Order: sequence, then C-alpha cells, then structure tokens
Amino acid sequence: MIPRVAFRELRSVWFQVTGTLCNLACRHCFNASGPRDPWLASLPADVVLRSIAEAEALGVRELYFTGGEPFLHPEILPLLEAALAVAPTTVLTNGTLIDAGLADALAALAARSPYSLEVRVSLDAATAEDNDAVRGRGTFARAMAAIVRLSARGLPPIVTSVVELGGPISVVEWGDPPQTPPAGQTPLASETRPAGQTPPAGSLWSGRARYDELRETLIAAGVDKPRLKLLPVLPLGRCAGRAGERRLTPEDLEGFDTARLQCTETRVVAAGGIYVCPILAGLPGALVAGETLAETLTPIALDHAACVTCHETGVTCRN
Amino acid sequence: MQKLGEARRIALLGGVYANAHALEAVLADAHARGAEAVYCLGDLGGFGPHPDRVFPLLRGAGVACVQGNYDEAVAAGAVDCGCGYTDPRDNHFARISYAYTLAQTSTEHRRWLATLPPSLRVDLGGHRLLLCHGSPRQINEFLWESTTPNGLLDRFCDAHDADVLGFTHTGIAWHRALPSGRHAVNVGAVGRPENDGRTAVRYALLTATPALTVELVSVDYDHETLAREMEAEGLPPEFAATIRTGWWTSCLESLPAKERARGRY
Repeated sequence: MIPRVAFRELRSVWFQVTGTLCNLACRHCFNASGPRDPWLASLPADVVLRSIAEAEALGVRELYFTGGEPFLHPEILPLLEAALAVAPTTVLTNGTLIDAGLADALAALAARSPYSLEVRVSLDAATAEDNDAVRGRGTFARAMAAIVRLSARGLPPIVTSVVELGGPISVVEWGDPPQTPPAGQTPLASETRPAGQTPPAGSLWSGRARYDELRETLIAAGVDKPRLKLLPVLPLGRCAGRAGERRLTPEDLEGFDTARLQCTETRVVAAGGIYVCPILAGLPGALVAGETLAETLTPIALDHAACVTCHETGVTCRN
Repeated sequence: MQKLGEARRIALLGGVYANAHALEAVLADAHARGAEAVYCLGDLGGFGPHPDRVFPLLRGAGVACVQGNYDEAVAAGAVDCGCGYTDPRDNHFARISYAYTLAQTSTEHRRWLATLPPSLRVDLGGHRLLLCHGSPRQINEFLWESTTPNGLLDRFCDAHDADVLGFTHTGIAWHRALPSGRHAVNVGAVGRPENDGRTAVRYALLTATPALTVELVSVDYDHETLAREMEAEGLPPEFAATIRTGWWTSCLESLPAKERARGRY
C-alpha cells in the first residue's frame, strides 16, 4: 500500500522558470535538463507573478527559482525583484552565466530588498577534472568565477554539491574536534575518505571528503565565507533506476516525523500546473489537482522512488 | 493571559547560553531602566560554561521563562539540542556544546526546565504580546530579519490574537514595525555577541507610552572572565574567540546571506 502524507502548511513555493532548458547537460541531472528539446517548457512571467501574489497571501516563508538554468529566462531579473518584494528568495544556478554584469545586477537586487537573496551555485567536485567530468568542460572555472564574483559583491553564494550517500545526510560524520583550530577557519580534518583511496575521475564521492575539499578550495580561491550544501543523487532523470524498484510503505512512516518531508510544506509551479515537490516537478504523476496554490495544499501519495531518497537521507531542497 | 496591572515597561531577553556574567549585567541594566517585569524566551544553556549558574539568577529575579529547544532537549536528555542546523559543521560544534551542557546541568534544574511553557501571553498596556522561543509554530524555527516576511508575521499574529510577537533562537536581535501596525521583536541573545565585531550582548525593552516603543539595548559585561572560564572548561577555542571578538566562528551556516555577509567569517 502506498503511504500518504497530509499537507502541513505552505512554507515555500518553487518556480521551475525555465522548465528543463539548460546550457549544460550534467551526467547526474535529476530532471534531465539540457540545451536541446527541453521536455518541460518555461513559465510565462505572468504565471509566476500571479503565484507570487498568491503565495504572499498564504503566508509563504520562502520563494525559490529553479530550472533548468534560471538565468536563461528572459525576465528572470524582474521576476526575482518581484519575489524579493514579498519574501526571501533563492535562485538555483549552475553559475556559468553569471558574468560581472549579472553579478552586479544581482547584488543591486539584493541590496534593494529587506529580504535575503540567496544564490545557489552547483559544483560537484573540488577540482576541474572531477567536476567537469560530471558537469561539462570548463564548468568548474566558470562556476568558481561566479562564486568569487558574488562573494566579492557581498552576496556569498551557497555552493551545492551532489554526493553519493549511504544513509542520512545529517550523519556526515565529523569525528573529534580539531586540536588547534584557527578561529573561523577550522579545517576539521579528521575522518575523510577511506584510507588510500581516491575518487575515480568523474565519480560522485561521499559527503565528508567533498565538504572538506570544497571548503578548502573555496577559501583558497579567496571566498571568505564558504557556504556548502550537500545533496544526494536522485534516482530519476539521468540517474533513473539507480534506486531500484523500492517504494515507501506505511511501515516506513511509523515513528517517522513526516514534517521532515518537503512535500508537506511546499508546492512547485511549473509548466502544466502545480506539482508536489521540486524533484518531481513536471512529471504527470506529481501534478496536484487544482488551479491555484490554495487548492493544491492537499494530502499526497509517496509513490515515487525519489520519496525513498528523501526518507532515507533526510535531505530537503531548502537552503 | 498574564496581565501586568499598571506595568508600562518590560524587558525581554533570550539565548542565555550559560552566560551568567552577561545575564547579571542585563538584569541590572533592565532594573536600572525601570523594567517592571523581565521575561526570558528560552535557551538557558549551551555554548557557555557552568550552565547551573544561570538558574538562581533567573529565579532570584523572578524572571518568567519560556522553554527553548535547548531547554526541552536538556530536560528530556534528548540525543541532540534540536537546534535545527542542517550543516555538518554547525552540527559538529552543536554536539560538543550539547554534550557538555547536558552533563553539567543538575537534575533539579533539568526538572525545572521540563516545567517551562512553550509560550507566554502578556498584556502590556493593552498591547497583546505572544512570547515564544523560535516561532509560534515551531520551537526551533529561525526568524532572521532577512528571512521573515511581513505576510508570515501577520499570519502568526492573526492565529494567536497578538499585536506583538517576541522571539529569539537566532542570536541576532531585530525589531520591525509591520505595515499592519503590529510589531515583531527578535530579542537577540544574552549569551553571545551578535556577529558584529562588538563584545556587547542585547536584550529588548518594551514600553507602552501608550503606543508601543521597542528598544534593543546593548550591554557590556565582563566577557574576558567568561572566555577564560570557557577555556578552563575545555570548550572549543572557537567559542571563546567569539566572546572576545564579537564575530561568530560557529553556527555560521544557518545564517542567511544578508546576516552572513555582515560577519567576518
């Protein structure tokens, strides 16, 4: 039997503004975005603006823009500005389009709003060789340049990185406290990757090693406020089938705090309607009946392989 | 709802974090400024040394307390502090702090923490206050200035018949007069400076004149003594560095972009 969860309250609304249109085609992309023939269309600006207004009336806490690559949307800057007028807003980007001009524009937007603008930049390894094997040639250098540009403008981005996880993401172990850490720049080097092993080029390595390596890389590049978020590989898009056939059962939810599941507090506006969560946006099975956000705040079935990933890793798409 | 009779001025403090030196200074400051009652919005322990020392100060001064996530966890002997961090580096320091605090808090004080209410209602000169730790809906929700929309605050006020919301949990004070005429006050933290390069800590002074005025008051205290006590107790050097410099060195990852950008790290 497929378990269902009640909707709790609307805390965040996501906009898949560019659908699956992206200038990159990363090997692990969970919604198989790319530059050609996107299977999910972009959102017209008026749909986004209408949903922002509705989200505000519903007491939303945060707004998110994703895709695809959001900066391919011709009206992304005015849309971010409209969002920032009502709530803190996050944009998820591969960073490769953030040149000096765009970084200036984002910093100006952020400075005008009382709410935080968060820019999340994807980087899947601490070296160009490993990152580019997953994300495409030249992407490491371009994303790092964007991270440095944003940081220099007082807009420290959150670097997100996809890792292989065998269990809860909160149990990326930290070992004992370091003995003589310089204040604010604690290396926290202890247990990392298995002794003697190095990750094969292009692989997605486990959490603690990635966290340490990325943190050191960012600091070395002059990023004085390194911010990191690890995400698991999701079993769909270009990684479909990785999780096997397992689905959640009612027993999985016994003693489990379903408030940890993002589908109890979020909805996603994407081409075709309103969907249960950012991971499943665009999939017909994840469409929620209803024309308005208010109509879609209803119980949903946890019937996808990705639901197992959220349940097991405790990950959320929130910042 | 607790009515304050003729009271016109109250003090709200939170995030004591076992900083008895700052707590003493703040209580004295509030008294000197004519506060007729003092409320503590929770998190008595964590971060600082000798957590048992703050209890007699609060009880002796008749401070009514709300239960914070730390208080809830210490009372129950929970596996972690329930601070709501998602970053492994934040959680690393949180574990050290929590293990120390749990071990150093007496059974009597843990029992007392278990009796604290999740919220308090206060009438201050006709202004209806709701006092809680994180947010009215979640004990460990972070209400930062840059991530808390007006629409959400109005919704909380509607749901709780309140004109004024008082909360803490984040460690950085702010006050916003909402377009609707209501007020939201993050009372900041007594236990730790505000990531602004100054060693002072803050609390909030609310006065009914009869219109409500909110003042966020900075208080200096003997921070060097506290830092030395932290070191003597074997707490992480990062914690003492924060006390001495006013810059956060831990719990950084929960900061939103605007608040993070203002700090050194």
